[in-house]
Amino acid sequence: MRELPSSQLDPRIKSVWRINDAIWIVISFLCCFVPFAIVAAVEPASWVFMVLAVEAIVFLALLVIFLIVLPPIRYMRWRYQLNDDFLDIAKGIVWRKRYVIPFIRVQNTDTRQGPILRAFGLSSVTVATAAGEHEIPGINTEHAEQLRDRAAELARIAREDV
Amino acid sequence: MQPTTETPNMNTPEAANETAVTPDAPVTAATPAAPAAAATPAVSATAATPASSELQHYGVHHSYIWLGTIRSTLAILFVLIISMFSSLISIIEDGGVFELATMGAIVGGIGLLFLLLVGVIVLVHFLAYKRLYFTLGPNEFSLYSGIITKKRVHVPYDRVQSVDARASLIQRLFGVRNVFIDTAGGAANKAVTVPYLTKAQAEWLTSELYARKRQALQPQAAQVPSAAGAVSAAPVYNQQGNVLDVGKQAWDEIGGVFADESQVPQVEMRPSFQYGLTNKQLFLAGLSNNTSFVLLIIGFISIISQIVGLASQIFPSQTDMAINSFTSQVVNPMFGFGIAISIAGIVGFLVVIWIIAAAGQCISFGGFRARRIGDRVEVERGLLQHTRQSISIQRVQAVVVKQSVIRRLIGYCEVSLDKIDTNSADDTSQNSSLNTHGVVIHPFCKLSDVPGILQGIVPEYAAVPQGRTPVAPVALRRAIIRRCIWQGGGFWLAVCTAIVQIAINLSFVSGAASSSDDIAFLNFTNAIAIGLYVIAAVVFVLEAISAVKWARESGFAVNERFMKMINGGLSREERSFPRNKIQYGFTKTNPFQRISNVATINVRTAAGVGGTSVDMKDVACEDADDWLNWLQPHPSQVQSAQPLQ
Repeated sequence: MRELPSSQLDPRIKSVWRINDAIWIVISFLCCFVPFAIVAAVEPASWVFMVLAVEAIVFLALLVIFLIVLPPIRYMRWRYQLNDDFLDIAKGIVWRKRYVIPFIRVQNTDTRQGPILRAFGLSSVTVATAAGEHEIPGINTEHAEQLRDRAAELARIAREDV
Repeated sequence: MQPTTETPNMNTPEAANETAVTPDAPVTAATPAAPAAAATPAVSATAATPASSELQHYGVHHSYIWLGTIRSTLAILFVLIISMFSSLISIIEDGGVFELATMGAIVGGIGLLFLLLVGVIVLVHFLAYKRLYFTLGPNEFSLYSGIITKKRVHVPYDRVQSVDARASLIQRLFGVRNVFIDTAGGAANKAVTVPYLTKAQAEWLTSELYARKRQALQPQAAQVPSAAGAVSAAPVYNQQGNVLDVGKQAWDEIGGVFADESQVPQVEMRPSFQYGLTNKQLFLAGLSNNTSFVLLIIGFISIISQIVGLASQIFPSQTDMAINSFTSQVVNPMFGFGIAISIAGIVGFLVVIWIIAAAGQCISFGGFRARRIGDRVEVERGLLQHTRQSISIQRVQAVVVKQSVIRRLIGYCEVSLDKIDTNSADDTSQNSSLNTHGVVIHPFCKLSDVPGILQGIVPEYAAVPQGRTPVAPVALRRAIIRRCIWQGGGFWLAVCTAIVQIAINLSFVSGAASSSDDIAFLNFTNAIAIGLYVIAAVVFVLEAISAVKWARESGFAVNERFMKMINGGLSREERSFPRNKIQYGFTKTNPFQRISNVATINVRTAAGVGGTSVDMKDVACEDADDWLNWLQPHPSQVQSAQPLQ
């Protein structure tokens, strides 16, 4: 087997994932739960309480999976390596993928920072080729700048665009 | 050697409103970027250098006004007739009496409205025509258009992907055509359309764009793989034509009213390789198109359902299984006659559709010519609607050799070039269907002729690796399970049929009180279910064959500069692409693949709209790793190698 790429994401990304997932799960839970809660308040019936109970259980299960179980595994599996002339990414838990992205094919690189990432002092780097883009979700800002500059420099060397 | 030059003296797009009405003004070197220079009498200073002529404004042909008008007018006429018809009907119904005066008023009013609309359309087209021109600047092609909102499109020469020219039947009669310049830029990737150029202008624009593109890329030209030796040595293949070439020659001689043949420029280079289609190739290409396979399947299914349906309909209350009644009744001559008639009807109908589809295909490939000129590949086709596609060799993303099921049986294939496609060059569906296939450089040729054709038309691809790294042995088992079960249409059809059949049977059994009608219905359902099982079994067997063939034939091969992927099965596809056209690649494994120690490899190229994935499932892990190592750029490809981290 090929060796796994050396770099890991910043450990703080786990907290970012947790917050992100928590927000989405809570929002979708409220969207499902509130209408039935209103129905239950207006007209209490046993089936409504059944639905509410099931929703609450699913909610708790999702919270456990996405907040406790998945982040460490995802963190372990998400690896990348910045080589001289290509970017190496390994990720995925069930479907494991291994990408090789030559820098000379990179069209543009962005660094992005959402509010949550900014709070943790992280950046995400997006590397776009003519056939799709890849995101490295959370590395510290200094590292991100380095990666972006590298890709930009190599993209300049490339002979033709596509 | 330039075509008719439209001469309005326009200094800037903003000033165009005032100056556009003086068409007899002398040709002025004017660039929007430098209005001051153009305003001063700089004509004499710049006219001496060739650079000045590049900034001439080239207008489109005047048929833009009236052919465009006719097109819009026909559409409006159609709408008007329909609306008039309905209002007339309603008046007749309302009044009950045929009132001539009202009718006349309505018809007159609508006629007036129509004339008014036509006037407006002519005016709009005239104004648009006056404002529509293009220039060939030192570094870029620019197209200016728009009556109220000015639009400019700039295309740097080195970004030109391909230049296509298309002519509808009417346009062809008048010898004009639309030119599409494809740039493959960004998400909203649209071709620049230069409408209504004469044939001479279109040819001139195409060769001019390619010449300038070559110049723009000159510094790097040394790195472009040179194929000069191969080209000169290549024999000209298959000059003999087919019957439809007569039509093409007729077109070439007539040329169309405004084709301006005398001004067609001498091409800067003679084609080094050119071929057409023979009669046999043309007709077989038409007959073996994809429609025919679909028709075969439809015919097969409908014949089976016909037999089953007849069997259960004639003796609906038979207590035996309907299939038994069918087998016993086949010997009955009357019954056999009925089946024969209905089957003959179906077959006749399908044959007619097939012939129509084949004729359409033949006409669309009529006058087919593929040629190599310098560093570009040109393909010309279409007896009625004419298309000329040209693509620079550096922009070819992959060479694809495709065999559909029927072509596979007779050992023929289709050869095409992948290119980056536009989302929509035009709104018509015909263009989009053209774009999705890339550039077909031979619609129908013997598999053994492919190397010869490729050698002549894209000699750069001669170094494509031979042989293949086969998929892992375990891939056979996995392919059978995947294609026959998980993705198996036959399997799922059988499962669904079984569920429905069991459900219906159970509901009748629990009902207990079965009348004779119920029993008949039950027998009918069971007969249909048996028919479906037969279809499912046939599909299952086909899928199994396909899976076995896939596992035996598939594989990939790499060498220094190229990669090849072969995906076999009932149909077969072989795709070769240069290493530097691979945008990125990845391997993918799911838990089952990890147990079997295999992986899927996947290559992304920029071909098509938004990129194309080519994957090869169940390659042995070591091979996949080797391939990933191959995919990494060699140190020599990148000059500055500063280690990071």
